[in-house]
Amino acid sequence: MQPAILAEGIGKGFRTGLWNPVKPVLRQVDLTVAPGAIFGVLGPNGAGKTTLISILATLLLPDRGRAQVLGMDVVRQASALKGRINLAASGSHFLWCMTVADSLRFYGRLYGLGGRALNHKVERLLDLFGLAEHRAVTFERLSTGLKQRLSLAKALINDPELLFLDEPTSGLDQDMAHQIRGEILRLNRETGVTMLLTTHNLREAEMLCTEVAFLKDGQLISEGRIPDLQRRLGLGDHLSLIFPDSPAPLDYHRLPGVLHYTVQETRVDLVLDRVDERLPLLLEAVYGTGTKPVKVVVKPVDLEEIYHEITR
Amino acid sequence: MKLRVNLNKIWSFSVRSALVTRRNVFALFEMLFWPLIGIFSVGLLTRFLNLEGETVAFILIGAVTMNTVQIAQLDLAYALLYSVWSKSLKHEFIAPVRLSHILVGSGLVGLVRGLVVFVIMGGLSVCFFDMDLGRAGLAGLSLFLLGLFLNAAIIGALVLALVLRFGQRAEVAAWAFSYLMLLLCGLYYPVSVLPGGVQFVAQLIPLTYFLDYFRHFYGFPPVSRHPLLYGFGQTVVYLFISYGLVCLTLKSAYRRGTLLRLSD
Repeated sequence: MQPAILAEGIGKGFRTGLWNPVKPVLRQVDLTVAPGAIFGVLGPNGAGKTTLISILATLLLPDRGRAQVLGMDVVRQASALKGRINLAASGSHFLWCMTVADSLRFYGRLYGLGGRALNHKVERLLDLFGLAEHRAVTFERLSTGLKQRLSLAKALINDPELLFLDEPTSGLDQDMAHQIRGEILRLNRETGVTMLLTTHNLREAEMLCTEVAFLKDGQLISEGRIPDLQRRLGLGDHLSLIFPDSPAPLDYHRLPGVLHYTVQETRVDLVLDRVDERLPLLLEAVYGTGTKPVKVVVKPVDLEEIYHEITR
Repeated sequence: MKLRVNLNKIWSFSVRSALVTRRNVFALFEMLFWPLIGIFSVGLLTRFLNLEGETVAFILIGAVTMNTVQIAQLDLAYALLYSVWSKSLKHEFIAPVRLSHILVGSGLVGLVRGLVVFVIMGGLSVCFFDMDLGRAGLAGLSLFLLGLFLNAAIIGALVLALVLRFGQRAEVAAWAFSYLMLLLCGLYYPVSVLPGGVQFVAQLIPLTYFLDYFRHFYGFPPVSRHPLLYGFGQTVVYLFISYGLVCLTLKSAYRRGTLLRLSD
């Protein structure tokens, strides 16, 4: 199957002043995104995430390398590609004096929509994003959350096959961020639209993304499905067994999936490759020693650990 | 089908400009207040100076021209400035729009706004200062107006290029550019009163010839023998150059990341 995004050796730099040398922002970035995926590009501020997304979204020309989005070259076939993609970004701004409905109509027309088709699409998006009651409110009077919802609604005006989401929940409160994440997952599930998402919020990536790539100083340092990355880095889920007294001796190393363990008085801390699969067998072995833990604490590996391991 | 798609894209920019005009006091001020001030201040000055009818017409033509061109070109400049001010430029340029959609869409509103200004100022000149606006006939008036609007398009396109290159810093050009051009083309005076070198520059401005053409109906001999030929000839050349310049700056903006910077 043809990848939704295929980038090879992408490089980009910017000159900060007329006499200053070009400062590289992206260096030799290769990226492959499968159709229908929610792919996360992670990295700290200044890592080059927005530059990468902008190149793939035809808003910026790369200095080196080539990229295909939906099978089309982002430089040579940009005009045709633009109709099949869209972008929602954090802190998106639209014209201050246009209402919510005006803004959606304006962007709808930019994609060639008109008449009944446009009205129908605008109404559908207003309903979908809970904006119907705010349809006549001008952009400058909208709350941050409503602005972000409008940004997402606008991004769907052309039924894109690929959606770029640049820090989609940045600056939102917890509730609103949660709602927006829900919308993103629902869209992906219901429409199958491929999404490329940039974020520096690891928890968000964990919740949304099927695959992630880590950018650091303009270079892609690791890429893959989260469990694969976990395995590749030798990182595991944490499991703590708390006993009423000192636990009976047991060679935990011999149990399948145990990466390492420590015993401290009444507590055994283990790292397992996949806690959900290994836990029943491990507990069976523990019970076999004649002692029962009073508390079992599971803490799955998170992206933060992966990120720190990778960027170490 | 393709035509309808393109018309929708053009229409989107027209509707946006019209909405901003309707909803912003400053846009209405541009269209009504300043032209009113302009025509009355100049008209009353001619009365105070006790000028003859033809000379009054000469000067009032200048006042009407200045405001008509200024308003018409502003809409082209605003086409991008609205996006720059609202930081929405990347959302416009991620859509499959071409420069021609932006220019034609916004230009249409500029044309309408310019016509409104022309009608208001022309009407006031007729009513209060006894100017005979119909002396050139419908054809003469239409050709003059066509010249004005095409010149407004040239100025607007050049301002667009500056905005794409320098961003918000170039917004002053939206107003300054047209005034500079109008100063050089003999707005309130014949170009013969300009210093020698400046007269040569005036001859490179098509608006000089359109003013020359229209004023000859009021008894002022044209400097050039074929003002329309020179005027439209130069206009076509400048339109091509300015359109090419905007295309080049847009390409450069894609390379330099200007579209993103102006959206932050």
